[in-house]
Amino acid sequence: MPEQRIVLRNCGVIDPKDISTYLSQGGFKALEKALGELAPEQVIEEIKKSGLLGRGGAGFPTGLKWQFASEASGEEKYVICNADEGEVGTFKDRYILERDPFSLIEAMAIAGYAIGANKGYIYLRAEYHHLLGLLEGAIVQCEGKGFLAKQGNFKFDIEIREGAGAYVCGEETALMDSIEGKRGEARYKPPFPPSQGLWQKPTIINNVETLMNIPPIILKGSDWFNRIGTERSKGTKVFSVSGDVRAPGTYELVMGSSLKELVEDLALAEKVKMVQVGGASGRVIPYHLIDTPLAFEGVLGAGAIIVFNESRDVIDIVRRTMEFFAEESCGKCTPCREGTQVMLEILTRFCHGQGLKQDIENLESLANVMMLTSLCGLGQAAPNSVVDTLAHYRSAYESRVQG
Amino acid sequence: MNDAPRGIEVMHKGEGSLLTLLKEAQRRHGYLPEEVVSELAESLDIPVGEVYGVASFYSLLSTKPLGKNVIRICKCVPCYLKNSQAILETVEGELGIKPGETTKDGKCSLQLTNCIGACDRAPAMTINHKLYVDLTPRKVIKILKRL
Amino acid sequence: MLPLFGGDENLSVDMIPVTLNGTKVSAQPGMTILELARENGVDIPTLCYRPELTPIGACRICVVEVEGSRTLVASCHTPVAANMVIHTHSPKVLEARKVIVELLLASHPDVCLVCDKANTCELRKIAADLGVGLPRFRVKKRYHPLEDVSPYVVRDLDKCILCRRCLRACHEIKKADVFAIAYRGFDSKVVVDQDQPLNKSVCRDCDVCISLCPVGALTKREERFKEKKGPPLFIKA
Repeated sequence: MPEQRIVLRNCGVIDPKDISTYLSQGGFKALEKALGELAPEQVIEEIKKSGLLGRGGAGFPTGLKWQFASEASGEEKYVICNADEGEVGTFKDRYILERDPFSLIEAMAIAGYAIGANKGYIYLRAEYHHLLGLLEGAIVQCEGKGFLAKQGNFKFDIEIREGAGAYVCGEETALMDSIEGKRGEARYKPPFPPSQGLWQKPTIINNVETLMNIPPIILKGSDWFNRIGTERSKGTKVFSVSGDVRAPGTYELVMGSSLKELVEDLALAEKVKMVQVGGASGRVIPYHLIDTPLAFEGVLGAGAIIVFNESRDVIDIVRRTMEFFAEESCGKCTPCREGTQVMLEILTRFCHGQGLKQDIENLESLANVMMLTSLCGLGQAAPNSVVDTLAHYRSAYESRVQG
Repeated sequence: MNDAPRGIEVMHKGEGSLLTLLKEAQRRHGYLPEEVVSELAESLDIPVGEVYGVASFYSLLSTKPLGKNVIRICKCVPCYLKNSQAILETVEGELGIKPGETTKDGKCSLQLTNCIGACDRAPAMTINHKLYVDLTPRKVIKILKRL
Repeated sequence: MLPLFGGDENLSVDMIPVTLNGTKVSAQPGMTILELARENGVDIPTLCYRPELTPIGACRICVVEVEGSRTLVASCHTPVAANMVIHTHSPKVLEARKVIVELLLASHPDVCLVCDKANTCELRKIAADLGVGLPRFRVKKRYHPLEDVSPYVVRDLDKCILCRRCLRACHEIKKADVFAIAYRGFDSKVVVDQDQPLNKSVCRDCDVCISLCPVGALTKREERFKEKKGPPLFIKA
């Protein structure tokens, strides 16, 4: 069976407004175990051994990130949960937060204990303001039960910070600037957040889904987690499926499941032309590659799956994708600020059948430079859909070249 | 290091960061009037330009007056595939305004937004902070009538 | 995150061995790639970088190739690390710099012949060095009304390349904070207060921003349309 519920274990099972239903499902047993039986280094070791990689798209080893932050010098450290799910086609974190906010809080507390932080922030995108009350209620209940209160050296406080509408704030350094109250512009790296992050203090930033994996790993052990998935991709992945499918929604599959299983067997897509895996910044997979495994070895991204049927116009989709990046570019670095605009200009002309012969070559060289030189992941990933469609659907471009 | 961290001490220790305060001000005034931006800058001891820079960066903050109800229709690809265009046209027709405009009576502003994370129930829109999903032109007309 | 850059090796005062364009050189800990290159007589073009200002890594013209890195890295803010192998003028790097200059020129007004910056324009000089003529790309131009209300500074923001030198100079050197950056993406703009034309009493005739503007966006009122003496432009081999 490709489906397995680790991240979504409590979704639909517990009442997100009532902590007692969470406790009856073994809630806070992982934090109890960590505090009672494991030293912070042992928690980090366990996460490292589990092979858990970040689920926000970049796939950095979570345990290693924690280790860097734990080893960084400084009294004050921070844990940030990235709930700024802005990627086009992604809603899995919303699904999780709506149904199981307690696991996230427990995971952040474990992370705090592991790296020696007593302050955590949930950076919630403003578009999810409707979840704010639920999240605040969950934090209050956890505090009320004393789970975040002082136990030995441990004490943890969680604050929610809301965004104000900026996709780029999902990028970790822009996110930190936004929490600091500034424009959400990317910072250059190094220094990396685990050594100098929020307010220049050691900080770990983990995606909602990444954190959801922490309690089960602590409870069941890294060996258990390590047996699930593929060589490099351990555990499961949660996908948000939308577009031309009969059953859009949130699915959790074991890493390495095929795109075909997800799109055709579960989401009931028919006459598929292509799939955008990872949303606007993701890869475009044509139907003949639909057996590609969903794993870090194959394609993954943050798990947004947008399905397009045979009636869709490739260039129209790519132009809309580029319009998104042009609007969401923070504007700090040249390749992203100017490059997305130039690409949008070219793609708009192609949509009107007014491409020029040299445009295709220009798109390729511009895409290459944007990927190589942009300051942050936004500009580096913005040309992905252009690159992939030029590789797989070149004739769609060529047929719109004038003369 | 990076862009000089101006006014950080104020923001760090205060309950609210500048961004939080701007959002609060917008909640109170409906948008961010020039005087409010200036006052905020003065009270936090941050240059006015910097406050304006933050206010103009985020798409949900506005330095121009907005209607009582701000309708944001998602224009990203998943909603587009589910014919968000028809939703937009319906709202435009009902209210007689285009994206970026506000009705004369100040009741509604219409905007287009990027992905709001409701793609499984596309097309979607928000009115102020409330989310509306699985929209059809008929449903939209009903929703607008209730405003 | 590259573990290469982590750790505490910078605490040591020992010199760091680095390979720069095929030559083994040694670097001081904490030094950036750009500083190392300049110390060794290697010329890397820069626009947003100025030695007297904090780097921001915005223009990306100073990118170089570091072996093992997925992307090119901006030399102005990337510290050297032990055993780095750096190429400052590989074909990949030169192509990237060319495209970046072309992007800046694409939205730049075509008024070089009548521009006050004339031959002293840094953007033109870099374009000439890289052999960039007409940019390959077409994009809309920016339009901002000329700001000439200030008795000292005339701002022509159509020419601004958003390097933010003026902003940093005013903040870091003069502590005057006259400028800020507003809006986002292509619409980003260096503004005064709430996007008002520059005419502030705090802005005097210090000239710091004007002297640091790489292009013709900022000019001194009394020197407009006067002859400028700059070195002649010529293309490097």
